[in-house]
Amino acid sequence: MSKKLAACLVAAALPLSASAAPESYVIDPYHTIPYWETDHLGFTTMRGRFDKPTGKFTIDTAAKTGTLEIVIETKTLSTGDSERDARSRTRDEHLRTPDFFNVTEFPTMTYKATSVKFVGDNPDALEGDLTLLGVTKPVSLKLLRWRCGPDPRTQGKRYQCGGNATGTFKRSDFGMKFGIGPIGDEVTLWMSFYGFRQ
Amino acid sequence: MSKKLAACLLAAALPLSAGAAPEAYTVDPLHSFPYFEADHFGFSWVRGRFDKMAGKFTIDTAARTGAVELTIQTATITTGDNVRGERPRSRDEHLRTADFFNAAEFPSMSFRGNTTKWNGDAPAAIDGQLTLLGVTRPLTLAVIHWKCGPDPRAQGKRYVCGGNFTGSIRRSDYGMKFMIPGVGDEVKLWIGIEAFRD
Repeated sequence: MSKKLAACLVAAALPLSASAAPESYVIDPYHTIPYWETDHLGFTTMRGRFDKPTGKFTIDTAAKTGTLEIVIETKTLSTGDSERDARSRTRDEHLRTPDFFNVTEFPTMTYKATSVKFVGDNPDALEGDLTLLGVTKPVSLKLLRWRCGPDPRTQGKRYQCGGNATGTFKRSDFGMKFGIGPIGDEVTLWMSFYGFRQ
Repeated sequence: MSKKLAACLLAAALPLSAGAAPEAYTVDPLHSFPYFEADHFGFSWVRGRFDKMAGKFTIDTAARTGAVELTIQTATITTGDNVRGERPRSRDEHLRTADFFNAAEFPSMSFRGNTTKWNGDAPAAIDGQLTLLGVTRPLTLAVIHWKCGPDPRAQGKRYVCGGNFTGSIRRSDYGMKFMIPGVGDEVKLWIGIEAFRD
């Protein structure tokens, strides 16, 4: 092998660049933060969050394909109301009951992408399946931001892809019908996400 | 007083409509939350919330005037990472330190403003001041949603005004300079509010 070719192969193997084959990433639970929001009585938009999801994704920039699987523990939901004071339960406690997320029977909700649409070299949108309350329905996600590069927090030793994504679904499609009308049926998802290249 | 005038005044006093004089409202802390977003190393926007906000406002829809006061407890910051695990501290703990919100020395941040633009019967902009880390700077909030009406949860016996508000600040203006630009200087604000007429 010539020195030039060897140098070229070494350069291609450096962790500081994206390579031209499917690459696997593991979700960073501390910076992958899914939020949801829905209308509340027409007065304001109520938001909530899930903590520390797990998952992985693969991306092949050359073939323009990708996969994503993300698992959310439903009991981690939080909307800012977790202290009962004089009430019999908080909103977060109510959301964990069978009226809403039924966390005892359905401890997780998952999203599995079935296809990824690229614009140039970057993923732009995902088609996939959301499984919530044991019901699986298609939900699309749109990428608002996407960037890959060395992780500045590790002096470039770790390579990451991260961004933001959004999508909407009707909770009644998944059987979550409590309070529809006063509380919106349409739910908007918005999340930050990161994956570290393995 | 004529019967017609008396009837008219009585109708004007009914709780089910917006009155034609300044009315006072108290923010419902269980349905009012401030959120913020900052750029994270150029990869994504990361969002967080404060769980405890109190406030009041007065509003005169006929005269097109209004004044609002909001107080946020800085220690109630929550971004989805509050359990250290094996690390010396979680992100939420770090945010409470003097590197960021210095919650021990500055337990609250506050906004005071007046409605300066109206869109018919709805306020459209609130010009005011934010006090953060003891520093006070101008801040304008845009009103992106506003609605007043009887509270359906109280059989109309309670009257609510609510809405969604946005703004942005440069945190360095308030002396919060840690980790700029890794964590963005510009911070986007989103506040959802519901308030009961006193």
